[in-house]
Amino acid sequence: MRNVWLIARREYLERVRTRSFMVMTVLIPVLMAGLMIGPGLLADRISHRAKHLVVVASGEATGEAIRDQMLDAQQLSRDTAEQARRSSFKKAAIPPELTIDVDTDTTNAHKAELTKKVATKELDGIIWAPEDALASRNITLITRDVSSFIENAEIQQSLNQSLSRQALSNKGLNAQEIQDVFRPVRLDVQDAAGKGAANPQIVFIVSLVMAMILYMSVLLYGINVMRAVLDEKTSRIMEVMLSVAKPKEMMAGKILGVGSVGLTQIAIWAAVTLAYIVPSAAAMGGQIKSVLSPSLLVYFAVFYLLGYALYSTLYAAIGSMVNSEQEAQQLQFIVVLPLVAAVGVMITAAQFPNSAVAIWFSMIPLTSPLVMFMRIAVQTPPMWQIALSIVLLAGTIYALVLLCGRIYRVGVLMYGKRPTLPEILKWLKYA
Amino acid sequence: MNVVELSQVKKSYDQFVAVDDLSFNIEQGAVFGLLGPNGAGKTSTIRMMIGITAPDTGQINVFGRPFERKSLQRIGYLPEERGLYKKMKVLDQLVFLGELHGMNPAAAKQKAMEWCERLEIAEKLQSKVEELSKGMQQKIQFIAALLHDPDFVIMDEPFVGLDPVNASLLKDVLLNLKKQGKTILFSTHRMDQVEKLCDSICLISRGRSVLQGNLKQVKARYGKNNVQIEYDGNGDFLEHSQLIGSYNNYGNYVEVRLAPGADPQQLLRMVAERSRVSKFELMEPSLEEIFIDVVGKNDA
Repeated sequence: MRNVWLIARREYLERVRTRSFMVMTVLIPVLMAGLMIGPGLLADRISHRAKHLVVVASGEATGEAIRDQMLDAQQLSRDTAEQARRSSFKKAAIPPELTIDVDTDTTNAHKAELTKKVATKELDGIIWAPEDALASRNITLITRDVSSFIENAEIQQSLNQSLSRQALSNKGLNAQEIQDVFRPVRLDVQDAAGKGAANPQIVFIVSLVMAMILYMSVLLYGINVMRAVLDEKTSRIMEVMLSVAKPKEMMAGKILGVGSVGLTQIAIWAAVTLAYIVPSAAAMGGQIKSVLSPSLLVYFAVFYLLGYALYSTLYAAIGSMVNSEQEAQQLQFIVVLPLVAAVGVMITAAQFPNSAVAIWFSMIPLTSPLVMFMRIAVQTPPMWQIALSIVLLAGTIYALVLLCGRIYRVGVLMYGKRPTLPEILKWLKYA
Repeated sequence: MNVVELSQVKKSYDQFVAVDDLSFNIEQGAVFGLLGPNGAGKTSTIRMMIGITAPDTGQINVFGRPFERKSLQRIGYLPEERGLYKKMKVLDQLVFLGELHGMNPAAAKQKAMEWCERLEIAEKLQSKVEELSKGMQQKIQFIAALLHDPDFVIMDEPFVGLDPVNASLLKDVLLNLKKQGKTILFSTHRMDQVEKLCDSICLISRGRSVLQGNLKQVKARYGKNNVQIEYDGNGDFLEHSQLIGSYNNYGNYVEVRLAPGADPQQLLRMVAERSRVSKFELMEPSLEEIFIDVVGKNDA
């Protein structure tokens, strides 16, 4: 046991002290933050310019009604975006300011003239809404930006509303009554247990980010274990180590040491996230907090440890079998394949946590760490399923440790050509 | 008392028999040479002594008991395949290996500094191993094997790759260990290098012991039937004389092995008749010759 501790400690200290550890620890959150904030900043630049539109209607009142409705809608969405910007680390794009003129000249000549202005960028758009167009409910929007469908949809909605308001007003309803008709509906989603659901978008994003971190850490530190074993082989220190420590102790020490490095890194990330980002982003942060329950963090740790134990054991065996990084690359795919499959299923599981695929893959040990975690994050499955998944996983790890320990013991002393599958099977039989 | 006892040890890998029915004892305080050509089974034998592998059959006792892992703390091993953690600092590395051998960190550090002082590399204690020259790395490796003051030191090809100055430095250290009563096992294919150091030897070939015992007795058994001759002139006599069993021509001189029963005086007269002799010396055969002789006979 002392040897395991000594080996793990060496592995841990030597790794944590390296520059690459510090770079990774800083760089990954920066990259992640960049991915979240970057597009917002970019969108900001694109749509910040004020826009100038003209509403052409047969009557002044109709035109003004459409204009007011559009300006109101625009102001509302600007306010929402403004608020989101203040309260979230994600920079939402603010819709542009609008200037809207009302025009009553519905002649075709005037239409051509205005269209020319759109082409020469004097105007940004024309809403062509003369009497006949309103009657047939077929209004034309002339703009350079024909594919900007979100804006188009907003304009369409504004037109709809203003026409409806006008119709209601014609039927004799007063302004307050019309306001009441259009009061928006709020939808509260609850599950069968009566618990309120968190914002599904945030649940999805947070779960996905956590699952990706899980995937990356398992892969990254698994590979690190393989490298560490390979390094001992190529630097030929293996024989010195074997003269004082059992192969089993060396394998265990390596896996524990490298795994602790991974935990340290994740802990740093988690601490930074909770301490800095969450409080500074009150509104969205609050929602993230509600998703990031303590039990989910515990599950994260559990599945990181189990997943890492599973894959690092496999990686340790591969490291012991090969003689060079290149040979290792060739064998790695055996291990990477199930991980990649797990990521694929995980995304399905995020949307359909109770689908057959999600349930099966959250039971199969090679994919269960990722898929089961995703299911728990999105919608906690029945306890027996979680327990079964963990038991299966732990059992598989135990069997793999025994199996890979045997491969490791023989492999570390083998130099020269890469062993063939029959040879490896033979190693398993050595006493 | 014997530090190591091997009796009828056998080890094979698949079809290949690495060690075959090998028995020998190493007395306490002895310098023992395990000699043989590459692939004879030397390293396989050592690996079994220190529990890296287990013998298929036969018995190995270390310090008078069947092998147990606790014994490893009293053994220092310099493997043929040298290796250190390249990115690790020298001092950290030595302390780590010392701790694995059961030392406490403070004592390991103290010892490491003493040894580095003694082997003249104290200024490299804070360097990374990869920054050191090969010779220096060898010294670190050497220290790593001796740091925990082992009672039994195993040196597998200790002098390979060392310049004469460092080789002699290490030889002095080893002789000093012998004086302290430590037991030393040399394993090498360079028999000339350890001939002067060993008390007793075991020559192995293809996993089998072909000759073993006290070095002086082994040599005495072969008698002084070797002659080293330096001469100027015609060397034809080497080919034709009945007196000569075999010979090795080294260019500057010739080593001749006399035919059984031949009289060296007769050979001297014959050589003197044909050339100018500047040196004619009767000597014990070298270990290498004995080895070639024994293995040759076994093969025939």
